[in-house]
Amino acid sequence: MTAAILDGLVLGLQFGLLGVGLTIVYGMGGVLNLAYGAMAVASAIVVSVAMRSGLPAVPAVALGILTGAALSLLLNVTIMRPVYRRRGDQRVLLSILLTIGVAFIINGYLVWKLPIEALSLSIGGDAISILGVPMRVGSLLASAITILAGVGLILFFRRTTAGKAVRSVIQDEVGARLCGINPASVRMLIFTLSGAIAGLVAVTRSMTSPVPVSEGFSLTILALLVTVVGGLGSVKGAMLAGLILGVVNALSSFYIGSYITTIVLLVAAALTILLRPSGLFGEYT
Amino acid sequence: MLEVRALDAGYNNKAVVNDVDIQVDDGEIVAIIGSNGAGKSTLLRSVCGLLPVLDGDVIYEGGSIANRPVYQISRAGIAFVPAERHLFPGMTVDENLTLGAYPKRPDSDRRALIFELFPRLGERKRQAAGTMSGGEQQMLAVARALMAIPKLLILDEPTTGIAPSLAVNTYQSIATLRDHGIAVLVAEQQVPLVLSIADRGYVLENGSIQLEGSAAELRDNPMVQKAYLGVA
Repeated sequence: MTAAILDGLVLGLQFGLLGVGLTIVYGMGGVLNLAYGAMAVASAIVVSVAMRSGLPAVPAVALGILTGAALSLLLNVTIMRPVYRRRGDQRVLLSILLTIGVAFIINGYLVWKLPIEALSLSIGGDAISILGVPMRVGSLLASAITILAGVGLILFFRRTTAGKAVRSVIQDEVGARLCGINPASVRMLIFTLSGAIAGLVAVTRSMTSPVPVSEGFSLTILALLVTVVGGLGSVKGAMLAGLILGVVNALSSFYIGSYITTIVLLVAAALTILLRPSGLFGEYT
Repeated sequence: MLEVRALDAGYNNKAVVNDVDIQVDDGEIVAIIGSNGAGKSTLLRSVCGLLPVLDGDVIYEGGSIANRPVYQISRAGIAFVPAERHLFPGMTVDENLTLGAYPKRPDSDRRALIFELFPRLGERKRQAAGTMSGGEQQMLAVARALMAIPKLLILDEPTTGIAPSLAVNTYQSIATLRDHGIAVLVAEQQVPLVLSIADRGYVLENGSIQLEGSAAELRDNPMVQKAYLGVA
C-alpha cells in the first residue's frame, strides 16, 4: 500500500509537470496543442539516438529538451499563426484540428523510421529506503528534477517580470497591451517553454519506464486529463491534479489491475468536472 | 505633441467619428466633452491603437502612430486609461503597478509619487486588484498608467462609477500632473468638473467637433451652458 502510494507520487509528479506544459498554452492563448505528447516522444527519441551515437547522457538530454522547445517554437511561428487570428471557439477548434495533424505526422515519421526505438535512461545505484519502501535511484532523481522544475516555474510566474507579463496577458489582454506588452511575443515564449517541458517530462519518465515511439497519444491524453482536473491555465492546479491522478493510477493498478486503470482515471477526471467545473484551481498559478 | 488630423474612426469600417482635428501641446490638459454616444471613446481608442484609424492621421512627436500596435504606442509614451480600466484582477496592486512600468523596471521615485497622489493604494499594496472598490480600481488604473512615465496620459471618463466626492479628488490629482510635465487628454461627461482643471477643450457631438476653445471660453459659451452646465 505505502509502496503503491509512493510509486503513485513519483508518477504523479511527472503527470503534473506534463499537464503544466499543456495548460499554460491553453491558459495563455486559448489553444490546445494535441501534438504535445508527440513532441515529448520526439524529444525522447532524439536523446535515445544521440546516446546510441555516443553522446554522453547530459548533453544528449539537453539536446532532447532543446528539440522539444524548437519543435514547439516552429509550430508557434507556422501553423499557429492562422489559429491566433481567430477568436473563441473557432480558435480552439482550429488548433485542435491542426495539431492533431502535426501529431500524426511526427508519430507516423517516428514509427516509420525508428519503429523499435525507445528511450530508457537507467540510473545506477542501490535502492534507497523511504518509509521502509526501497525506491530506485531513477525514481528519486526523476522526482527531484520534476519538483525543481515545478517550483522553478511557479517562481517564474510569481516573481519575475516576464512571468507577471504572462499572467497579465491571461487575465486581461487589452490591459496587457496598454501596458506595453506584446501578446504575440509572450505567446511565443510560453509555447517554447511548453515544448521544453514536454522534452523534460519525456526524459524524467524514461528514468522509471521506457518511452517508446508509440507513446505520443497517451501522453497527450494524460496531459489533457491533468489539465481538466487541475483547472485550465493553473500551474499549481496541474501539479496537484497530477499527484492525485498518479496516486489513483497506482492504487487502481495495485488493487484492480492495470487494464482498467485508464477508465478509473477518466472517471476521476469526469467526477472532478461534475463537482468543480473550473477544476481544482480556477485562477492562474 | 499630439495632433489628430481629419480622423475617421469606428467599428467594422463604419466611421463613428468623422473628420476630427484635435491637438494637445506639451504639459497641457485638454478636455473632450460631449454626451453619451458622441464618439469620445471611439476617438480616444483609435488614437491608442485599440480601434483602426480609417482615414486621416495621428501624429505624435512628429511621427505618425496611426494603426500602430497598441503596445508600441504605449511604449512610445502614451498611456491610456480606458473607462473599463482593464486591470489585472487576480494580481496585487503592486504587481499591477510593476506591469505599468513594463518593459522598464519600476521607478522608485515614480512609485513614491503615486503613493503620495493616491495614499489608499499605498495601504493596499498586497490586495488583489479585483477585490477593491470601484473608486480604488480607478485610482489603480490611473496609477498603473503613470508608472510608465508617460508623456501623454489619455483618460476615458475617469469618474465612471465612482462617488461624486471621489470624482473631485480624482480631478484634483489629475490637475497636479501638469507640475510633472505630463500632458493630459481626457474625455468626460461631467463637464463642470473637467472644465475646472482643463486648459482647453473640444465639444464632440455626433462624431464631429462642434466647438473648441479655452476652458474659460467654453464655460462662458451659451451653447455649452445650455447643453452641459444646466444653465437656462
